[in-house]
Amino acid sequence: MNWIRQLFTRRQLERDLSEEIQEHIDEKVDALMESGLSREEAAAKARREFGNITLLTEQGRDVWRWSPVEDFLADIRFAWRQLRKSPAFAVAGVLTLALGMGVNTAVFSVVNAVLLRPLSYPQSERLVSVKSLDVRGEPHPTDLSYPTFFDFRRENKVFEHIVSYRDEEFSLTGTGDPLHLRGEIVSWDLFPVLGIQPSIGRGFLPEEERSGQRVVVISHQVWQERFGGDPTVVGRSVRIDRQPQTIVGVAPPGFTFPIASQPVDMWTTLSRDVDSGTAVPVTEQRGARMLNVIGRLRDGVTIEQAQAQMDLIAASLARQYPDSNKNTPRTYLRSEIENLTGNAKPPLLILLAAAGLVLLVACGNVANLLLMRTAERAREYAVRTAIGAGRARLVRQAITESLTLSTIGCTLGVLAAIGTIRLILPLAGESLPRITEVNIDGRVLLFSAALAAATSLVFGLVPVLRIIKPQVVEGLKEGSDTTTDRGEGLRNALCVGQVALGLVLLSIAGLLIASFHTMLNRDLGFQPAGLLSFGVSPQQEQITFYTRLGEKLRNLPGVTSSAIAMPLPLIGSEMTVAFNIQDRPAAPAERPRSNMAIVSPGYFRTIGAPIIQGRDFNEQDHLDSAPVLIVNQAFARKFFPGESALGKRIEPGATYGAAGTKTREIVGIVGNAKQSLFTADPDPVYYFPYKQLPWCCPSVLVRSQLPPLSLESDIRRTVASLDKQLPLYRVRTMEALFARGMSQSLFLVLLLGSFAAIALLLTVTGLYGLLAYSVVRRTREIGLRVALGATPAQVRGIVLRRAMTFVLIGIAIGLAGAVAGGHVLKTALFGVAPYSPLLLTIACLVVVFAGALAAYLPARHAASIDPMRALRSE
Amino acid sequence: MRTKDRKDLFPGALEMMILQTLKRQPLHGYALVQHIKQTSRDLLQIEEGSLYPALQRMLKEGWVKANWTVSGSGRRVRVYELTPAGGKHLEREVSDFERMLEGIRLVLSLGKL
Repeated sequence: MNWIRQLFTRRQLERDLSEEIQEHIDEKVDALMESGLSREEAAAKARREFGNITLLTEQGRDVWRWSPVEDFLADIRFAWRQLRKSPAFAVAGVLTLALGMGVNTAVFSVVNAVLLRPLSYPQSERLVSVKSLDVRGEPHPTDLSYPTFFDFRRENKVFEHIVSYRDEEFSLTGTGDPLHLRGEIVSWDLFPVLGIQPSIGRGFLPEEERSGQRVVVISHQVWQERFGGDPTVVGRSVRIDRQPQTIVGVAPPGFTFPIASQPVDMWTTLSRDVDSGTAVPVTEQRGARMLNVIGRLRDGVTIEQAQAQMDLIAASLARQYPDSNKNTPRTYLRSEIENLTGNAKPPLLILLAAAGLVLLVACGNVANLLLMRTAERAREYAVRTAIGAGRARLVRQAITESLTLSTIGCTLGVLAAIGTIRLILPLAGESLPRITEVNIDGRVLLFSAALAAATSLVFGLVPVLRIIKPQVVEGLKEGSDTTTDRGEGLRNALCVGQVALGLVLLSIAGLLIASFHTMLNRDLGFQPAGLLSFGVSPQQEQITFYTRLGEKLRNLPGVTSSAIAMPLPLIGSEMTVAFNIQDRPAAPAERPRSNMAIVSPGYFRTIGAPIIQGRDFNEQDHLDSAPVLIVNQAFARKFFPGESALGKRIEPGATYGAAGTKTREIVGIVGNAKQSLFTADPDPVYYFPYKQLPWCCPSVLVRSQLPPLSLESDIRRTVASLDKQLPLYRVRTMEALFARGMSQSLFLVLLLGSFAAIALLLTVTGLYGLLAYSVVRRTREIGLRVALGATPAQVRGIVLRRAMTFVLIGIAIGLAGAVAGGHVLKTALFGVAPYSPLLLTIACLVVVFAGALAAYLPARHAASIDPMRALRSE
Repeated sequence: MRTKDRKDLFPGALEMMILQTLKRQPLHGYALVQHIKQTSRDLLQIEEGSLYPALQRMLKEGWVKANWTVSGSGRRVRVYELTPAGGKHLEREVSDFERMLEGIRLVLSLGKL
């Protein structure tokens, strides 16, 4: 710490040194004068024999300095003074960098929270998602059935625990208003697999998977809100789905599983599925693939080793149970975080890449600004070199200036990002997992700092290259650099590069916007406007309940029709069931599969889908009458090509209660109403009449002439009048469901659109700066031309031609990048070819227009140059 | 940036001479130079000013201390004085130097045999 004290006493030390040296010279002069020299001669000799006073004093001072740090601080002070001396340059540079850094910091903070941050369970890197791999066609992962899961659990040696889970809706009654709960039906060791202890009570026991066991663990939130945080709640019996169930534990605060946009309220064991009420319990149906599975790897087991063992088990099951397992002889293991965030990866990486391009454009701008400054300061550098400044010192100084600039820019950028994140996150909606966890943490700050350093290297290097080879003599010559400017080529190249990058971003944004537009405006095959949906889970007499509810709803003012459906269209939930065509029977493993839906009579009228052939379901299609089906046109075309599907008979695998599968007759063909939001082609769907397959629990749809949400209170009253204990949940308009499905695309489009706009803005200002600067530098030349008779139009032409040269070369380069960008984007596009000539042309035109805009002011300025003044200024 | 001693002096030589001179009596800079020049009979080319960076270094190391005082001729001078640490350093340097000289001498004398 000695040097700190020295910092304070140094001024004194330096004064002493100077005084002492002065005294030395005085004494010497006196001595020399005594020996007979004149004062002048003595003074000259004294100095000569002393040596370089300035240098020696400085060396004396250097002894006391803690040099690396002090040099650095001095450099920063100097850089700061330089920036303050040219505020226009400083503001332009800092703002440009802040834009680039802000965009990158914001995007990276999302990437960090969604993709990079580990899951919030202990040693979450050992958590693995386990799926079956269906090898028909393109191999694809599928869910597991209970029997397969049990076999996996029993036979594997690679997992400490392996746990099944599936979503289910529950209602809690008897404690105030009926409450709808989002629940998970899990195998017993959910908490051990996650490495989590309930904060009160316990997790599940193995024997609680058996028939008749009804135990639940509730979330911290439900515990707080419904039970007032009462610790004696453990052991209490509550009514869930009208059955008494025992609360055995309360999850710790902040705990949720699985990680989804909506937190889970309760967990219960698969005992409920053992008592599924079907002829064969679902826990014994090998074909009923409905389970997600998560495992925790044993210590020292890699995911590849686990995969190898699970594949062996799956292969043996495929041999043992060909009817149900033949198509899934392999497994699909992924780390849980990848399972969770895999879908979010491509769009986020696209965003990150685009943000990187924006930063590159910004770097180009700043590099150009710095180059112009270096050119202006060429004489300063030459002078400093001439009086002995080391080259290393100059380079270090230049780098410090860049670093100072980028540090300020980075700080502003991070601040801007904090603000922007709040703005953009709501746009992502529920489309990205873990999006609510986005914030600026240490890693994001580190990323930004590293980026700032890298950035200043990129743009700071350019002027440094120029300093390294200074032409001292030329630099010192008055006016010598008005005609030759070696930095010019580099500056022009940078500008061309910016135009190219701008075009790439613009064309990518164009593609996404076009894709989004197509998605937004495509024919859904039904009319979502005016539709309201909600969920309700009647516990008994479902058919009667829904029939009576429908009658009452249709009597509400404004309601024109109502129906029930499962699943609802566009919500991203699908049910797929295999079927056997009577004319072309096949072995169970070879049967075709298709999306199915269960609907009530009037469903097609309610959603606004036309019945093309045959009839709609009616109230007489019930369990005691002939089994029937309706299919959509896509289904008819795919499975009955070249013939009429009407009257054909098929046997789907879907069953209800104690009855087995039934052969059903196709009685109607409807238009292709979209079931899934993300398939471009119409997806085949077959519809079951609700009364013949009364699975729990369909959603209710209401079509209204009034604004749909205004019906909510009427609907609540109606439901309560039928059953006071039924909670109503997920009351949403179909348009809101549609918007929710679109939110990820919207997020991507808005962000990329603004990136493109920012890049374009930066390119325009960069081009403008370059042109304006070149006009100033060429004032004399232009003045001469005007003096020799050039018209203002001709002068403007010079500037415009220059601008257009940049733009056209930039476009030529950028086109290649745009095509490549479109290729990368291919999977994110919907109904748009990755290279659309029309979109590319539009993007090019926008760039040309932007270039013309950038050239306008400098061109006008050039045309207004007064030749007399221009020439006299020399 | 560091002091460049004259070519004919090896690093540390100037410091050693200063310390040796100060060991005999405290002196101020000018007197120190004159003393070294005279004692060496002007055989060593010493830039007078180069004394000062060397003195600053030794001040920092704590080998010498300095005090402002008034000389016999009524001049304000800064007198340097050897510290005990400086004395020890000098001894070490001199013995190192003598060993080195001895080594060089032995090698040079080889050629004469």
